[in-house]
Amino acid sequence: MRFRKAGFAVKILMLASQCVLLLLLAGCWNNRDLTELNIVTGIGIDKSENGKVLFTAQVVEPAAIQSTSSGRGKGGEAQPSPIFVESYEGDTVFEAIRGMLALLDKKLFFSTAQILVIGEALAQDGIYEVLDFFQRDHELSYDMDVIVTRNCTAREILETEFDMEPIAAMFIKESVENTSARAKVKHTILIDLAKDMSDRCKQTVLGQIEKIGEKEIKTEGAAVFRDGKMVGRLDQFETRGYMFATGQVESTIVNIPADGSIIAAEITRTNGKVKAEIENGNQAVLKVQVKVDANVGEYKGKGVINSQEVMERLQEALGEEIKKEILMAVEKAQKEFASDIFGFGTYLHKFHPEYWNKVKDDWNDIFSKLPVDIKVDAKLRRTGIIKGTIRSQ
Amino acid sequence: MGDRIMLGRRIRRRSKTERQDTYGSSTCNDVIDPIPETIEEVKTKLNGIFSECDDFIHREIVCGEDIRIKLLVAYFDGFVDKKVLNQDVVRPILEYFSGLKLQDDDINVYERLKCCVVSNSDIKEAENMHQAVEGIVSGEALLFIEGECRALVIGVKAPQGRQVEEPDTEVSVRGAREGFVENLLTNTTLIRKRIKNPNLKMEMMHLGKQTRTDICICYIKGIANDEIVREVRERLKKIKTDAILDSGYIEQFITDDRMSLFPTVGNSEKCDKLAGKLLEGRVAIFCDGTPYVITVPYLFIESIQVSEDYFDHAFFATFMRILRILGLLVSNMLPGLYVALVSFHQTVIPFKLMITLAASRQGIPFSPFSEALLMIVAFEFLREAGVRMPRSIGQALSIVGAIVLGEASVAAGIASNLMVIIVATTAICSFVVPPLIRATMLLRFVFLAAANFMGFLGIAIVLVAVFIHLCSLRSFGIPYMAPFSPLTVPDLKDSLVVVPIWAMITRPKILMQNNGRRETKAKRQEGLRQ
Repeated sequence: MRFRKAGFAVKILMLASQCVLLLLLAGCWNNRDLTELNIVTGIGIDKSENGKVLFTAQVVEPAAIQSTSSGRGKGGEAQPSPIFVESYEGDTVFEAIRGMLALLDKKLFFSTAQILVIGEALAQDGIYEVLDFFQRDHELSYDMDVIVTRNCTAREILETEFDMEPIAAMFIKESVENTSARAKVKHTILIDLAKDMSDRCKQTVLGQIEKIGEKEIKTEGAAVFRDGKMVGRLDQFETRGYMFATGQVESTIVNIPADGSIIAAEITRTNGKVKAEIENGNQAVLKVQVKVDANVGEYKGKGVINSQEVMERLQEALGEEIKKEILMAVEKAQKEFASDIFGFGTYLHKFHPEYWNKVKDDWNDIFSKLPVDIKVDAKLRRTGIIKGTIRSQ
Repeated sequence: MGDRIMLGRRIRRRSKTERQDTYGSSTCNDVIDPIPETIEEVKTKLNGIFSECDDFIHREIVCGEDIRIKLLVAYFDGFVDKKVLNQDVVRPILEYFSGLKLQDDDINVYERLKCCVVSNSDIKEAENMHQAVEGIVSGEALLFIEGECRALVIGVKAPQGRQVEEPDTEVSVRGAREGFVENLLTNTTLIRKRIKNPNLKMEMMHLGKQTRTDICICYIKGIANDEIVREVRERLKKIKTDAILDSGYIEQFITDDRMSLFPTVGNSEKCDKLAGKLLEGRVAIFCDGTPYVITVPYLFIESIQVSEDYFDHAFFATFMRILRILGLLVSNMLPGLYVALVSFHQTVIPFKLMITLAASRQGIPFSPFSEALLMIVAFEFLREAGVRMPRSIGQALSIVGAIVLGEASVAAGIASNLMVIIVATTAICSFVVPPLIRATMLLRFVFLAAANFMGFLGIAIVLVAVFIHLCSLRSFGIPYMAPFSPLTVPDLKDSLVVVPIWAMITRPKILMQNNGRRETKAKRQEGLRQ
């Protein structure tokens, strides 16, 4: 096939002119090199002394990370720190972020941020307003972990350096996420928090973090909010109770007292649901139903698990133990915080809308006075590879 | 049916744009020049034609009792096997005529020579001077006879060229080691050896005004589509050129889309591969002087087909097919994807990878685009030099290349570690699909530039454009992307998935031959029962 000469020339010309147009566009739209970015790993927001927002960013120095990971153990000269932390104050979060460029060389790149640490003081003042930016901005990753500090500021947490992991935020994130094996800290990612916040029938709970040493942090317990303001805390067992009730436990160790000895049960599977039923027309009864599968992981004492009866007894005891924890959490939420953190309101809203419409305006107060019925159905499945303890045989 | 129509349209357009000329017009002069009757005149004439050709030899033989018989043998030195010539031609003549008296005129020397004397089996007749000269230049010995206006063309061509060897370009672990050579007849023999069937047709012709290169169209009658064979003949006849030095010349003349980067005419050096293609109903074009044999129609899918696919277990073959497609994509797009990732879409990079990327980019003075360009061009230099330079220098070059491209450029902070890995991966992958190396080489830059302008969007645009182009291509009327577009379900058996050879019952449907089944069903079942 031969092109007709004129047509071909025109085609080439058009193509060339289009390419020239492309050149004009080049580099304008969002083309930025990796080296022109400050890679943010952790974000912290605090209340500043002037009552404004104090925005803190933990920025990573990639080259330093590489040198620490490859040159570790060599000793000798001090390695440059792989992270640095900067704070800037502003009336709004966005203003503080842009203002922070005064302290930095390159623009901040947020989509790598692993954690969002909320300072205690700010949490008590309310988080709804501050968190707007984090939902609005397109660059932020929705799966960063959100946690609240205890007895320290967000900046202090972000400044912590760890020996094991050069990127501090990564360490904290992993520490929060290992709750899947212990269920003692609430793990919330940003998108879930946003959903919680938009749900008017339910109150927010966030995990908490504590600084317990120069290079140590502890992630345990949870902070309870009511209408966006932090109203109190749950300790580790109450947190677990809360998580059992809401079905967030993946695995944990629950101790069962049994005839003077202690049996550690490893929870392998749980299913927790909160419900509410309307009795006598206008009286709601709150219900928590939890199903648990567990294995015997440890038997501290003398005894043999050799019969169905023993197993049943243990199962019952395990159920009681879990029920106790749930009850602790429920009572605290009702009596101390008057905050429906379990989402009974969501259930009522869905299944009993007439009732909900009557109570929704002062639900939290009504909630704190309602009776709660907790049912735990625990099953022990396996006893490990031995029956009794070593001594008993 | 659509293909058939398309084919017709193509032919029509071609005949409109290109004026038909009479093929096979003479090389030297158009006037038919008779062979003179006397040897003296013949001699003068030949000397005139072959003046300054010092390798032209002619020998006059005078024999017979009464020295009435005058003959002239003419040939090119070296071109003709002298031993055979002496044994089969000169000696029998001398022996036969030495005692013969030409008393009667009814003894026809010419017929005698042709039937009784010359013991060579390959004898033709030259009716005029033009045919005679043609015989001489194509390496045959000419025997002129006093008093005859005809001459005998005796095929005593000396075997030329190298032995049949394993081809360098298409290496296979398993399968025949035989590759084609430069000699056309050796090549056709190699195919005849594999397909012992009178339906294997070999149509010879000459191309090239100056070179008069021997060309052979080869196909299996009854399997190959007659229309395609006719189209091949037509296109070859339309070639008007001085010289055909390689089958590559023919390839460029007969290809459908002359501007396309993608090959629509295939070539191969391997006999078993070519035999397979012929049996699928393709047409091969042999060209004297090159071991590369052309096959048409050539579809995209053929670039990822390797003869070993059919020798091996179908699972491995399928895996290799997918691997090749993957390699093709990687070698095209990897640098582009990298550039798009690090300059536009940092958000999709996993956190830890991002740290690694950022660390490796630290301190590099170039943008990812220029860095990639630099390294790819450097690699192309290296590759080209590696192909062109004498073998003995290769070692030195590869060391310098490895050190400069790999180590030093990273150490000097010109390129990042990762870019070296990417260019290396790209380079390796580009050799996974050899027929598309050239297309890939250029497309890589297009993808790279598009990625630098528009990120993933740019890559997507180029990708779509390439696919549109691929789908619009045709090779001798057959859609290039078959069996995918148009979807030809029976042909999918030998595409990304390779079914075992016993399950490949039908020949490629898209090639539209009359005889679709590879063997009759009854025979097949019989075979299975045994």
